[in-house]
Amino acid sequence: MKSDTLHVMAVYTKTIMKAWFQYRTDALLSSLTVFFREATGIIVIYFTLLKFGNLGGWNIYELLFLFSLLFLTYGIMIIFFTGLRDFGKTVRNGGFDRFILRPRGLLFQVIFTNADWFAAVGHGGLGVALFIITAGEVGIEWNLRNIVYCIFTVIGGVLIQGAIFLLLAALNIYLFETNSLKELFYWNMRKFAGYPISIFHKVIQICMIYVVPFAFVNYFPAQYLLRKPDMAQYPAVYMYITPIIGITLYMLAYGFWKYSLRFYKSSGN
Amino acid sequence: MFIAPYFAFAKKSFLGRSAYRFEHFMSILNTCLQIFIFAGIYIALYNGRSEVDGITISMVSTNFVLSMGLKAVFCVDDYFLPSKVWDGSIANEFLRPVSFRGRMLAENMGNAAFNVIFHFLPALIISAVVIGIYPPENIVMLLLFLLSAILGYGVLWGISFAVQAAAFWAINIWSLSTLKDVFVNVLSGTMIPLWFMPEWLYEALKLTPFPYIYFTPVQIYLGQLSYRQILQQCGIQLVWIWLIYLLGTLLWKKGQKKLVVQGG
Repeated sequence: MKSDTLHVMAVYTKTIMKAWFQYRTDALLSSLTVFFREATGIIVIYFTLLKFGNLGGWNIYELLFLFSLLFLTYGIMIIFFTGLRDFGKTVRNGGFDRFILRPRGLLFQVIFTNADWFAAVGHGGLGVALFIITAGEVGIEWNLRNIVYCIFTVIGGVLIQGAIFLLLAALNIYLFETNSLKELFYWNMRKFAGYPISIFHKVIQICMIYVVPFAFVNYFPAQYLLRKPDMAQYPAVYMYITPIIGITLYMLAYGFWKYSLRFYKSSGN
Repeated sequence: MFIAPYFAFAKKSFLGRSAYRFEHFMSILNTCLQIFIFAGIYIALYNGRSEVDGITISMVSTNFVLSMGLKAVFCVDDYFLPSKVWDGSIANEFLRPVSFRGRMLAENMGNAAFNVIFHFLPALIISAVVIGIYPPENIVMLLLFLLSAILGYGVLWGISFAVQAAAFWAINIWSLSTLKDVFVNVLSGTMIPLWFMPEWLYEALKLTPFPYIYFTPVQIYLGQLSYRQILQQCGIQLVWIWLIYLLGTLLWKKGQKKLVVQGG
């Protein structure tokens, strides 16, 4: 780590903020739009539960608490990993070649030269609001243990999703275009993750736990705090290992990224 | 012939879609997964009950399969007109001897025709096999469903045109378009069947164009409406198409006067 690393990070972050908030009204509108777009799922759950009362034994607040963890982790994640989300573009337009020429770590540059602040504000804002409202309603006791648990779990959830983005970014080096894979393995799995996985078909549950481990981002952590009966079908240890899974996956993805860099070929011209 | 150039536009966009095969397979998969998610949720919500408010689980599945399928067909590119305003190429469009709006509709219909054959039908077959749907009530209802679906497309396309025409004034069409999608998704029955909306909200919705996009055709398909009601509903669809058409015309005319293209 070079001595001016923090300084470089600060300069990058300042520049990005300036770029995103250049047009203030537009920035505000866009952030609000993300907020409303993401709230679609919330509104649908609200109306559905108004009619049916519960979903697989989960009431409305418990379901929204589950949902809030998804938004919260995405809001934090996107501050750091936008560069990986949009990495395909960077490769295609040759922007990555410029990174290679600079005297700083590649991943460092990819991570700190971009941050989707509209998504961060939109998702994060929704996540924080939902989390605060629902955490009170479902009766979570805020003792030291639960607070520490939440902090580590959110970090774990951020790392799990960051690892997925990092893995897909590394695949970009071979494939040039991974948007469809991202759609399938990230965005679609995330849609399932908004609901208790126990209600879905076994195949989906296995996907959510062992293939794209979204279950560890919100389902198992929510279970630790809520203790719903449907947890009985899964090993109890799953409620505690989110941070470990996050770190392990991220290290694995990082290893794959490091290995893949050797094969990087510029998109030319 | 008068219609010939529009047909050519439609054909062009139809053929243009055939180029991206892999992307296309993924989008079919996306539609199916969406349907499976909602079907899964409703199986859990029904929790073994055979019906809720006279609505069976199969009706709910059918609603999702049809409305999600139609949604894939009615895929309108909200940036078609705005992108032409942004880069100034709209000025050339004014010079052409075809109506620009007609051309937009034709291109989108070519796209929709492609989606019917290569998106709606595969998704329909896959989901019919996996989760099962009702067959149409009878052949007449099937034809009326198709008619009403085309009218529903007219309503949605008109709304999209009005949003696009706003590009003459606003730069941030993305926000407007996304908010429109939020309204359409929540209120038209694609994410929550309108049977299960609170009574007051459903009554209020009948005064908006939203239920007439996907929900009316689905109700016809399921045989929930009498011939008299079908006539009435399709009439309302036509009225909405006309009203939204007028709004679009107004925006389009005013927009042309307002438009300033940067020289280059």
